Amino acid sequence: MQGSTGKLREISRRTALGALGAGIVGTTVASWPRLTGTDIPGRGDNSLSIAIMGTAADAAARQKVVDAFAKVHPDIKVKVQAIQAVDWKDFFTKILTMVAAGTPPDVVYVATEGAQLFAEKLAHPLDEYLRRDAAHMKEYFEDVHPSLVEAFMYKGSLFQLPIDWNAANMYYNTKALQQAGLERPADDWNHLDFRNTLAAMRKARPTDFTPYYWTNRLFGGVVPWLYANDTSFLKETKSSGGRWLWDSFYANDPTRGMRSGGYQWLEPNANDPKVFESFDFLRGLVKDGLGVRPEEGGGNSLVGLFASNRIGTTPAGGYWVQGLSEAGMKQDDYDVQFFPRWRTQRHQFGTAGYAIMKTAKDKDAAWEWVKFSSSLEAMQIVFPTPNTTPARRSMVNEQLYAGKGPRHWKVFYDTLDRFPSTGPIPAPPQQAAVETALMKNVSLAVSGDERQLKSALDSLQRDLEFALRRQP
Amino acid sequence: MSTASDTRVRTKAVRGKAQRGASAGQPGKTRRSGRERQPWLPWVFLAPTIVGMGIFTVLPIIASVALAFFRWDIISAPSFVGFDNFAEVVQDPTVRVSFLNTILFVVVAVALQLGLALGLAIMVQEKLPAWLRVFFRSAFFFPLILSAASVSIFMRYLFNEQFGVVNWLLSLVGIPAVPWLTTPGGSAAVVILVYVWQNFGFSFLLFIGGLASIPVETYEAASLDGATGWRKHVHVTLPLLSPTTLVASVMAIINALQVFDQPFVLTRGGPGDSTRTAVMVIFESAFQRLEFGQASAIGVILTLIIMAITAAQFRLSKRFVFYQ
Repeated sequence: MQGSTGKLREISRRTALGALGAGIVGTTVASWPRLTGTDIPGRGDNSLSIAIMGTAADAAARQKVVDAFAKVHPDIKVKVQAIQAVDWKDFFTKILTMVAAGTPPDVVYVATEGAQLFAEKLAHPLDEYLRRDAAHMKEYFEDVHPSLVEAFMYKGSLFQLPIDWNAANMYYNTKALQQAGLERPADDWNHLDFRNTLAAMRKARPTDFTPYYWTNRLFGGVVPWLYANDTSFLKETKSSGGRWLWDSFYANDPTRGMRSGGYQWLEPNANDPKVFESFDFLRGLVKDGLGVRPEEGGGNSLVGLFASNRIGTTPAGGYWVQGLSEAGMKQDDYDVQFFPRWRTQRHQFGTAGYAIMKTAKDKDAAWEWVKFSSSLEAMQIVFPTPNTTPARRSMVNEQLYAGKGPRHWKVFYDTLDRFPSTGPIPAPPQQAAVETALMKNVSLAVSGDERQLKSALDSLQRDLEFALRRQP
Repeated sequence: MSTASDTRVRTKAVRGKAQRGASAGQPGKTRRSGRERQPWLPWVFLAPTIVGMGIFTVLPIIASVALAFFRWDIISAPSFVGFDNFAEVVQDPTVRVSFLNTILFVVVAVALQLGLALGLAIMVQEKLPAWLRVFFRSAFFFPLILSAASVSIFMRYLFNEQFGVVNWLLSLVGIPAVPWLTTPGGSAAVVILVYVWQNFGFSFLLFIGGLASIPVETYEAASLDGATGWRKHVHVTLPLLSPTTLVASVMAIINALQVFDQPFVLTRGGPGDSTRTAVMVIFESAFQRLEFGQASAIGVILTLIIMAITAAQFRLSKRFVFYQ
């Protein structure tokens, strides 16, 4: 009995070892297919992989475009991959992680913030395709303002076609304006008119109300004030080249002469006296209780706060209309006006479009997607509601804003026509570091005395020098 | 006191052992232990852990240290730069400030965390009835299982200067709005507050366990010697709790040195660099500036600091920790 027990023990140990070995082998075999690239969207079946910023719901919403594309190009399979991110910077980080992992998408929807990073390092220029399909693309460029296109020019080449865009206009609460005894501001109101408006609003509603709410971001923060004051925190220059595009597609445009091969931001400019003046103006608003001290990266709760009638004015673009409507704001509850004039009335805008990656498996197929996405048919499918401003002028119409939009919705596209020098978000290839440098110094600059402002701008200048030190 | 049956069992066992020994003494039939017969056996059982740790812990550490000597932006091929990354990191004022912030954060947050945890543990253990003890143990631990990012987003709303609940409550008692998240002092206070609130539960549970292991007789003896409540805690509880305090402090310091979620979500490191921490700078260097070599260099420096502090703690523990 004893012997048999001992034998049983030995057998069970071997059995256990055998089972362990079999388990390891079995697990490895069973899991092996998961370690291949077939689980990664767009891989393994030669699909064109399109990355957009958003949720799975956003990807599903694009299915109609994918279906429409499939009718035109049944031979090209497309997979849209939505990548969730808190902002564009976060989105680009995730795309770069995919690049590092060896699984880059073929096409990426890139906003101005990342346009030059992609153009410098990751994207393939569209020049050859545009020359080839010039006849087909003529209709697109006739419908799109050249300022938007110029934002995607880099060193003489075009890397993206603008699909949607937004300028930093000034939203205001009509009830707050009426309570302050004011009329709609004039188109050419200036920064002092704006300040007086805020003061009147504050007087009418001393508590639980903020006359001017602004965020500490690259878009809609301090930059629109710098642009209006004919300056920026980075020195703006333009590269040569790009004549091929302007002469081909904008031959009759009166602003053709001022167009270039793309923007360049190579040096910091925070020590410009006009930068000090602009920051000082904002510091005055904060000090006098007319404007908030901006939180870093704030803005998530802004639509809700504006819709609850606790904000008088705030800079935003056409992307707000749908959100405000969903938050319960009626058409007459708010309106939009141009950003106040200072030395100029140059506005700030951001735009976005598809970029073909250098690593794209089939660049010709990728171009077909880019070309189709810029068509009127595709853009009408993608933008059924006013949750952004379409790049095509013909789509920014009464129908888009019916029952939802502000009374003066024409302000959105008129911004480009009336102020053709309106410029993109200053975003060099080192945008992430530049944005961090700006954001971290803005709050301090507008929160203390004049000495603190000076110190914050000195710090901004140093940080920008550091950020731009490595020219790509 | 042994019984007859005990004796029988022992005799049987001894006999069995003798038989096995005799058998083992036969030439050519030596019966060896499992380890002697199959020296690879332990490695088989250890293999999954070793392979897992090797792939997911050791190799990344080695790769990270190696990366600190290269310039790499993910997109281009890495290039060897020697100690350049370390030199640049040391000269970078943002990195220096972030390390200083981290050290200050550790000093304040860990002191608050341990003090709060110990005080509440003593209170819960001694003053509350058993059913309430269970409730508070769960309640104090609960924040720890929440996502730090979610908590921070929520707290950001609470501490909003214009529309936050905290300032609204303060306004009810006539206190003007406090710029919690937009001034250096206010933002540092909120980051520490949120961090301590979320993390003290773990130290609290450790102290509860430590308190439960102190023999009642020790307190009785102290009482007989005339010790009152406060003296008992100073001369009995604290010394006997010192091993627990060592573990709690080592873990709290290591965690605090790696703080990221709360300042990143609440303040993004601002205003200025006032709440920027070492791990935030690692993240920014790697994933925002694409300077993975510099990020690794900062990581190596932070690791060395953590190791040095932990070693110092264990060295000091020889003088300040009393084992029963």
